[in-house]
Amino acid sequence: MAVCAHCLLEMPEESATRETIDGKETTFCCPGCRAIHGLLRSEGLTRFYARRHGWTPGPPESARVPLDAFDGAVRTSGRQAEADLVLSGIRCASCVWLIERYLGGRPGILSTRVNFATGRARVSWNPSETGIGDVVLAIRALGYTPYPPDALPVGDALRRETSDLLLRFGTAAFLSMQVMLFTAGLYAGYFQGIDARYEQLFRWLCFLLATPVVFYSGAPFFRGALRGARHGTFGMDALVFLGAFSAYGYSVVSLFLGGEVYFDTATMILTLILLGRYIEAGARSRAADGISRLVRLAPVMARKAVSGGGAVDVPVASLAPGDLVEIVPGERMPVDGIVIEGNSEADESLLTGESAPVSRVPGDPVVAGSLNGTGSLLVRVVRTGGETVLSRVVQAVEEAQARKAPIQRVADRVVRFFVPAILLIAAGTVFLGLHGGSLPRAALMAGISVLVIACPCALGLATPLAVLVGTTSAQARGILVRGGDVIEQASGVRCVLFDKTGTLTLGRPRLTDVEGVGIGREDALRLAASLEASSEHAIGRAIADALPASRRLPVRGFRAHPGEGIEGEIDGVRYLLGRPELLERFGVAVDGEASRAYAAHSVARRTAVLLSDGSRPLAVLATEDTLRPEAAGAVSLLRASGIAVAMVTGDDPGVAARVAGETGIANLRARVTPEGKREEVRRARERFGPVLVVGDGVNDAPALAEADVGVAMGRGTGLAIHSAGATLMTEDLLRIPAFLALSRATMRVIRQNLFWAFSYNLVAIPLAVAGKLHPIAAAAFMAGSSLVVVGNSLRLGRGGR
Amino acid sequence: MWTTLLLIAVSLALGLAAWLLFLWAVKSDQYDDVERPKHRMLDDDPEDRER
Repeated sequence: MAVCAHCLLEMPEESATRETIDGKETTFCCPGCRAIHGLLRSEGLTRFYARRHGWTPGPPESARVPLDAFDGAVRTSGRQAEADLVLSGIRCASCVWLIERYLGGRPGILSTRVNFATGRARVSWNPSETGIGDVVLAIRALGYTPYPPDALPVGDALRRETSDLLLRFGTAAFLSMQVMLFTAGLYAGYFQGIDARYEQLFRWLCFLLATPVVFYSGAPFFRGALRGARHGTFGMDALVFLGAFSAYGYSVVSLFLGGEVYFDTATMILTLILLGRYIEAGARSRAADGISRLVRLAPVMARKAVSGGGAVDVPVASLAPGDLVEIVPGERMPVDGIVIEGNSEADESLLTGESAPVSRVPGDPVVAGSLNGTGSLLVRVVRTGGETVLSRVVQAVEEAQARKAPIQRVADRVVRFFVPAILLIAAGTVFLGLHGGSLPRAALMAGISVLVIACPCALGLATPLAVLVGTTSAQARGILVRGGDVIEQASGVRCVLFDKTGTLTLGRPRLTDVEGVGIGREDALRLAASLEASSEHAIGRAIADALPASRRLPVRGFRAHPGEGIEGEIDGVRYLLGRPELLERFGVAVDGEASRAYAAHSVARRTAVLLSDGSRPLAVLATEDTLRPEAAGAVSLLRASGIAVAMVTGDDPGVAARVAGETGIANLRARVTPEGKREEVRRARERFGPVLVVGDGVNDAPALAEADVGVAMGRGTGLAIHSAGATLMTEDLLRIPAFLALSRATMRVIRQNLFWAFSYNLVAIPLAVAGKLHPIAAAAFMAGSSLVVVGNSLRLGRGGR
Repeated sequence: MWTTLLLIAVSLALGLAAWLLFLWAVKSDQYDDVERPKHRMLDDDPEDRER
């Protein structure tokens, strides 16, 4: 067999492509691999082959996407162009290294960053020296396939992996059910006696049914074990493969030479572990969908104002700082800029976490991705593309994710020593058997039986099963967990950081106070709620919702004054409702009782509006963002279990202090930028230990990604959910202490499982080495230890919901 | 003997039929998105028209 020097594919000697390099003959599987190998040599990047530790880049995929499809992905700003690409074929950290090094060394390329976790690359270059076409061709030349971000969503490669796992699991499940059927017959026959013809028939049926399970469904484990072996390490893959394959091999030998068969062991372990993998892959691909949704947050087209009046639709990518763009009501801002003309309000809750829309008048800044309110704006472009605040937040998240150290699973640490030890014991058994004068066949069978006894289900199942039950049970309690590592991290959390808006509070204002000045409370509320009935403003809706629709009065001549308030006619009287500025503009003096009440609300950090009939103020209405009812309870539960609790918010200190006081949080930091939140997480980690962050907005995303465990609110933004390891589906903060308790319980069960699996091995291995283990006792042992592990893990599922 | 063989054949045939059905389901992307469909009925009409 010849091995391809680039992709390590094994092939028959005669089909290899050959080339003499440095006086040595080198073989390749295809001209593509040969070309890539030559390219790496000419670029001086052959260190890739030394770095990759048995991982392979795979044979090159053919390029299907036409080059001009990438044009839409390019964002140009000044003398720099940038594009996000989705790369298929990235399998390991050295692939990332290779792409970054190779592209970085090409003329005109300014920077290249590849995110291993998401398979996305961000490349920036000087447009006068090179172009997107060159970048795409260069990546293809390395054997990776780039796609424009829209053509192939990030989740697609993952989804393909998921459906591959599903096929393997489904096949294994159907076949192992049939195997169990016949195995049950064999066991019954062992105790009651069975016709030799039937016994032989059942054994052959088991063999036929188990073979595809081992070779098709078990293939990923085989590949994983092989990769690990080249690397010199043994992980879960090696253990599962060894367990399944030794049981299968032993049974095949027994089939021909006599002895017990354990086909059921081989198929069951593969089926159960594939199920765990499938569920985990599904959760990962769901999380990856988040980022493709986020990229679409900022619009791709904008209306650019041209000199001499009018406007044309142009791609946002073609805008340059200094251009003027028109923004119509309800549109998302395409760029960061300064308002030149117009009067509106912007909903920036996505970025700042602030629930109330902010007024935007000429001279005010607007940020890309925020939502324009009821007025049209003319905006001068300041920053576009990757320079905008939104893009910087996204970048911060990706950096934090790329930097995060890979988490080693508990079982992997154990298995790394266990597998080589078992292999040594098995080899030793064969050796001693031969020395002791046994027949070679008997010695070999004794060796294999050590493998069968030592490796199977219990140890392989100990961790995945507990994690599986732990995650599904968390899901039943309303927490979507992305993977087993999240549970492991959560079990060690020492500090919980809460965001304020939308996390501790509901994130939407609610009417709290109505004070009549000269008229009754009820009348004031009725007038105000009726006026606001057709308002789109968050505060307006809060007032309108305070009164049932049936009790509202008919309003005529409704008009909105963006950023100030509204006016409307009820029973022939023209009313004004809004900020003091609106009333003063209409010649209504705000003084006396109304002025005092308004000032009092401002001090208490509530948003207040005034109602007037056009001659004098009639009432003051105050709204505030209300606390989640269970927030204080959740905080005290956390503190009772010895976990430090703190609050970090972008809001101003007054509101923050009020919310902190009501929930019983002593540590708080106000007016913190998104990057600042990330810094706070680091500081908290130094002080307390592992940190859990709960947040909902784009502004929380960097902190969520930086945290040891990020928990996003279920109605939070796509980016927050993508950055977090877990999502709170029910938005019930009490689930957080419950989740922490559950993850601690899961880790406890994993340790118990490992303990049981080991004690079983301690008893069974010496017996197997001595050749004293009766086949049926071995089968009972194996089933028994697996049952203990399964039963113990299932305890985690109790009391869910 | 032949009754047992018949039963084995029947059970294998049933298993095979179920497996083929499963293969078809996976290949036609029935399992591709198991989250979205259950929420679709909760969508408001305007969102539906958008899609």
